[in-house]
Amino acid sequence: MRKYFKLHRIFIAQDLKKLMEYKVDFLMGAIGFVLVQAVKILTLGIIFASIPALAYKVNGQVVDSWTFNEVLFIYGFSLIPKGIDHLLFDNLWGMGYWVVAKGDFDKYLTRPVNSWFYVLTEKFCVDAFGDLFVGIVLVVYSVLSMPADIAANINWFRLIPVAFVIPFAVMIYTSVKTATAAISFWTKRSGHITHMCYMTNEFASYPAKIYNNVVKTIITYILPFALTAYYPAIYLLRGESVWSLPVTIGVSAVLFFISQLVWKLGEKAYESAGS
Amino acid sequence: MSKLRKYTPFTRAGIMESVTYRANFLFFLLGEIMKCFVMFFVWKAVFDSSSGETLFGFSYDNMVVYLFISFLSGYITYSDGSYAIGKEILDGSVVMRMIKPIDFDMCFLFQELGNKIISFSLIFLPITAGVEIYRFVINGRLMLDIPMLLLFLVSMVLAYGINFYFNLSYGFLAFFLKNLWGTDIIKGAVVDFLSGATIPLAFMGGFGYVLQFLPFASLSYTPVMIYMGMYGAKKIIFYLGLQVFWLVIFALISKLVLKLAMKRLVVHGG
Repeated sequence: MRKYFKLHRIFIAQDLKKLMEYKVDFLMGAIGFVLVQAVKILTLGIIFASIPALAYKVNGQVVDSWTFNEVLFIYGFSLIPKGIDHLLFDNLWGMGYWVVAKGDFDKYLTRPVNSWFYVLTEKFCVDAFGDLFVGIVLVVYSVLSMPADIAANINWFRLIPVAFVIPFAVMIYTSVKTATAAISFWTKRSGHITHMCYMTNEFASYPAKIYNNVVKTIITYILPFALTAYYPAIYLLRGESVWSLPVTIGVSAVLFFISQLVWKLGEKAYESAGS
Repeated sequence: MSKLRKYTPFTRAGIMESVTYRANFLFFLLGEIMKCFVMFFVWKAVFDSSSGETLFGFSYDNMVVYLFISFLSGYITYSDGSYAIGKEILDGSVVMRMIKPIDFDMCFLFQELGNKIISFSLIFLPITAGVEIYRFVINGRLMLDIPMLLLFLVSMVLAYGINFYFNLSYGFLAFFLKNLWGTDIIKGAVVDFLSGATIPLAFMGGFGYVLQFLPFASLSYTPVMIYMGMYGAKKIIFYLGLQVFWLVIFALISKLVLKLAMKRLVVHGG
């Protein structure tokens, strides 16, 4: 275990050196990710300018509603587990797009470390600071500018269980990427499958109640991105959905196990490109 | 015509490339269309929360049509010349194109046309059929307007042309910036917003009014509004004219930038 932590530190140090060398690349990437988010937030702002609060209605009756600040908070929160996964484990994307197809996976097999761990940690993706930055700014801003009656609902002791759950939320992202990247061991390329599953996280940035039951089931249990964003965020804000915290831990553990299984099986099926 | 014939192999290559990777394309598409479904639900909640039936002249059904048709037109008019050219410039393989007796931009155009033929045939029918069925169920009658559909196609072709030359010009920035990934993301975000791909320009008040005349609106907003029947005859003629205007402007700009860039090009080895 110590060996692995040490390796990870070395990889990160290498990428930070690269970062110092290519400052413009880093800046452009980070600005890009910030701008993508800025456009989405601007869109939300324009939408909310014409309505008092986002309401969820059943048969014309308002069942639940969220103010602009709460939606911003949920949105900002969703960027944090996503950003952490992006920062530390971005290298998995390469597997499905080119690593297996080109036969470059050979390299990982010849090293005396777990191949999955090696692929996972080889790259430290500094672009993710853009996502993390926006996420933290949004969370802080939305809390500070919140109307007093909503802010009064926040109990900051809830931050402790939420902070405890965040690594598991990150694991949901990483496991989905791992399992879908491992499909490439059989099909050579699977980056687009990873992309398809990963994009489901777009649903997580908004209150899960507004979706229909099919979508809700998918984003809670199958590709459970709602557990990484809406549920912990609403728990922090209002103390609702306490059940989601143990579910997050359980579901992420199951997903992690499945992804490891797929990876192990895939590795056995791997054939090099023979060049 | 015979001048163009030498480019047909590029189109054939583009078609073959797209056919080979069509499964990838479909998975990618399913991932991208997820955003439309997210907004489908978000807009439903927004319209539920609003006191009126319409927002800025859009009903909820209009909004759904807008979402999916702007996704469709965005996809079909998408051009990634900026990335492809930038990459060739940075790794120097661009010289292989320059020593051939063909136009630089034309071979990109024809190759991409090949890709477009396949992506068009894969997604145009499912999305428009889906939208029309939705409109039929909501309104109880067929809403499809054939002349509008044809004008929409014309407008999309123009939008693609503008996008192609805009991207070509942008791709040459790689000479100066030496960075592709970041600049491409920046471009995408800004263009998406200014072209009305994320939210109709009508929602943006006076700023949106000004945007209608900028080239970005010609990329996405104009074809979608034509499809939805939001524009009358006069407006259609005006905005199609505007699209032609921007197409000519960007074609000229890209020629100019190409000339400037070629003077500065230094390729080491090859």
